[in-house]
Amino acid sequence: MTELLTYGFMQRALAASVMIGTLCAVVGVFVVLRGLAFVGAGTAHAAFAGVTLGYLAGISPMAMALVFALGTIWIVQALNERSRTAFDVSVGIFYAASMALAIVFIGLMRTYNAEVYGYLFGSILSVTARELWTIGLLSAVALLCLALFFKEFHFIAFDQEMAEASGIPATRLFFLLLTLVGVTIVVALKAVGALLVFALLVIPAAAAYQLAGRLWTMILWAVALGLASTIGGLLLSYAFDLPSGSTITLLATAFFFLAVLASPKR
Amino acid sequence: MTMTTPAAVPGVTAPIITFENASFAYHGTPALQGLTFSVMPGEFLGIIGPNGSGKTTLLKALLGLVAPTSGRATMFDCTCHTLRCHHRARIGYLPQRSHVDPHFPITVFETVLMGRYGALGLFHRPTASDRELAAGALTDVGLLELKDRPLGQLSGGQQQRVLIARALAQQPQVLLLDEPTTGVDAPTQTALLSLVRRLHQVRHLTVLFVTHDINVVSPVVDRLALLNGRLVAIGRPADVLTRETLAAVYGEAVIVASQGGGSYVIVADHHHD
Repeated sequence: MTELLTYGFMQRALAASVMIGTLCAVVGVFVVLRGLAFVGAGTAHAAFAGVTLGYLAGISPMAMALVFALGTIWIVQALNERSRTAFDVSVGIFYAASMALAIVFIGLMRTYNAEVYGYLFGSILSVTARELWTIGLLSAVALLCLALFFKEFHFIAFDQEMAEASGIPATRLFFLLLTLVGVTIVVALKAVGALLVFALLVIPAAAAYQLAGRLWTMILWAVALGLASTIGGLLLSYAFDLPSGSTITLLATAFFFLAVLASPKR
Repeated sequence: MTMTTPAAVPGVTAPIITFENASFAYHGTPALQGLTFSVMPGEFLGIIGPNGSGKTTLLKALLGLVAPTSGRATMFDCTCHTLRCHHRARIGYLPQRSHVDPHFPITVFETVLMGRYGALGLFHRPTASDRELAAGALTDVGLLELKDRPLGQLSGGQQQRVLIARALAQQPQVLLLDEPTTGVDAPTQTALLSLVRRLHQVRHLTVLFVTHDINVVSPVVDRLALLNGRLVAIGRPADVLTRETLAAVYGEAVIVASQGGGSYVIVADHHHD
């Protein structure tokens, strides 16, 4: 097992696991508390549509994923404010439309592109050094934003209307929170894939919710379970030659059910 | 139009809230027309009216969430109606009892401390004096000993007192309560009313109490404002709660009974969430 760590691809995969596991867990706490899981799912698929367009047009897939993810989130939020379309309805529309777009783009490629499917199902073992830097940078920015507005995000997650009435720019900060969700999804996209990315966002935080009574302990639990899922899943997938994204997700799910069983809240 | 500054003239105080022929829309449709009334500092005003009478719109107007479509709404000598206005912190608001997620990771004290966040502003962490204000507010509602409990473990009535403490931690001049007695049992209602009354007296708060439940507020308020798309009546409860006035709003099936110097009113109106 130790010789495994001498492989460059394995070192990069582990580094990516640590960063993604941490970021998804922390952002996921607010996603779970504010009820944004479906936004995560819809945005992940929009990001995948961006990836396919990136490959089709010869532009950076990560950059296009970011454009599509943030575009979706901002339009959904604008629809919610202006035309009072329920959040889950507009997310559902974008979910369906982006998958349709992705399939159109893949069809237009005419040749089979294995890399595109990597973004759908995850391919953490093929993360490049350059991608690692992007992941690191975006993670750092996202975590910094969370730290800066920590008390406001806690308030918004608890009661956004009340936060607004107390003189906190809650609508704008909610917008920022959604943006952070979008960035997080793009960061995790390559590693776990569009189909499973929101699993990492939701499952460790949902498990932590079962175990913690304070926000800080919930974050610590989420990070611990997120890292255990990503690192553990990665090693298991290597040892048993299983797909990495699925293994990580299934391990996280196992942790979730253990947390439900162990929960002092039941 | 200019107003006298409250502190400048001894013995004379200016209204803290003034509506001058102000109209408001809710989701684009007119909800309240031509409101003209004012509230004096330290007054306890009950705001009543049937469903859809504009109570929620008036509340949003008071919170600065909607601007008048015509006329003027002045609060603290300022016609601001944006949330960024610093006056916002002077209004402590208790929203209509919303479902508190029983497992949300937050303690009683953290909930009350959130009342300080608006005044603190972004990037600032609560200081020792913020914590003192929060503890003081919790003491005022009699729940200091529960400060480290998760909020979700408290009873509905206790949670509401915690939320009142959060409003108090803001150090407001005006306390705005939205249907606080809806969905709580009778002993809790009584306890809540006596708490609000005590806070009104001890903290010299101006209290605006929005409710559909006329009989709950009429014994405790200085004045009642009856809404029905406009201001139908405002005045002492005995003057507002007449058969003629109420029948104009609630229909003919209104019963007004005199009871121990006050009036007990039965109207065909149910509250819906």
